Amino acid sequence: MNTTGDFYAVQPKDSPPEMEEIKKLLAANDLELDDQVQMFVVCRRQGRLVACAGLDHYTIKCVAVAEDARGESLSLALGSEVVNLAATRGQFHLFLYSAPHNLPFFRGWGFYPLVEVPERVVLMENSPVAIERYCDSLREQRRPGQKIGGIVLNANPFTLGHRYLVEQAARACHWLHVFVVKEDASLFSYVDRFALVAAGVKNIDNLTLYRGSDYIISRATFPGYFLKDQGIIEHSWAAIDLLLFREYIAPALDITHRYVGTEPFDPVTNNYNAEMKRWLEQAPSAAAPITVIEVPRASTRGTPISASKVRQLLAQRNFSKIQELVPATTLRFLEKQFPALVTTTQ
Amino acid sequence: MKVVKESIAGTLESSDLLVKVAPSNKGTLDIVIKSHVFKQFGKQIRRVVTDTLAQLSVDAGSIVVEDKGALDCVIRARVQAAIMRACGSNELDWQRLS
Repeated sequence: MNTTGDFYAVQPKDSPPEMEEIKKLLAANDLELDDQVQMFVVCRRQGRLVACAGLDHYTIKCVAVAEDARGESLSLALGSEVVNLAATRGQFHLFLYSAPHNLPFFRGWGFYPLVEVPERVVLMENSPVAIERYCDSLREQRRPGQKIGGIVLNANPFTLGHRYLVEQAARACHWLHVFVVKEDASLFSYVDRFALVAAGVKNIDNLTLYRGSDYIISRATFPGYFLKDQGIIEHSWAAIDLLLFREYIAPALDITHRYVGTEPFDPVTNNYNAEMKRWLEQAPSAAAPITVIEVPRASTRGTPISASKVRQLLAQRNFSKIQELVPATTLRFLEKQFPALVTTTQ
Repeated sequence: MKVVKESIAGTLESSDLLVKVAPSNKGTLDIVIKSHVFKQFGKQIRRVVTDTLAQLSVDAGSIVVEDKGALDCVIRARVQAAIMRACGSNELDWQRLS
């Protein structure tokens, strides 16, 4: 007989009564239900819900064990269940957020700390070597020079504003490393965004373009980024993403300066820019500070160019206006992908 | 056998182990072993893992072992299961698994 209890998976939308039980268990552990969780693993013992762990794509969240069920093997069984659940969903490289004082608990799950916001949160991953292997692959791309720039772009889609930012940074640096956010959570797919960036920066010689990774503005490092269009984010967690950049990515490539466009429209990105100075330049860290350079956004006829503006115009198929905001390569792509609206009459 | 995709086998519970396998980017065989009893048994665990991989003719891949004090026979079985999954193989070659 299994003395631990019965484990099974719960999909939040399928089982409102069980979600109430999960909420209660989380509340008893000072946690809130994260509505991004797609699936919970729960443990029920003699009818009572005693443990839960949530999975949001490849990030484990909302882990709680009832107080009277602690100190036994339950937590390791819970860890095994959620890691195996993730595997059946095709997710093997996992991340986890923990309060710093619970770090030893999750070490037992085979998770290793990446970065910590002191006294607040630790980001962990389920590999002792993955981040180092990633940094090794970056180190092969190192370039000589005293001033090495870094830019992270979502480019949803690539505009003349992005082009201007990259140009300015490339001109100011000996070499420029540009990363394209990998997560497929934007209007345009990663493959398309990457292709448009590649086409748009083609004639800049002192630049390397990178596919993004789970460590740069991903659902794991910066979940809030992908919720911004819905306007429902509470915490941006930008600190975690920025510390990863400062402590791993920048040292691997000798990046000394991070470039970013000023953000007049989008509150999440604007907040991200503000947090950048704090976490890349000012916060205490074992890693050297990285200088943040805010480049004023390029404008057309007094209006700053932004990808969100392009998306708005695209919804109206206003290609004559879009033409003023994007390079020819992006325009051609948009015209092909978004044929003029057809009005049907009955 | 050739590792073509990611896989896992096992659990994190006491006396068991979790084996994680992934294709290697550079065609190397990288084995990482984590264990509470590494000081006493690290060499022995590594030997069982490398022997099992050799039996299955696995010469490339990333293998991460989270050991929780498993016996050799358990280690062998979990490594075999993880490799079979990572190779997408349904045919069991019992001679190699013995």
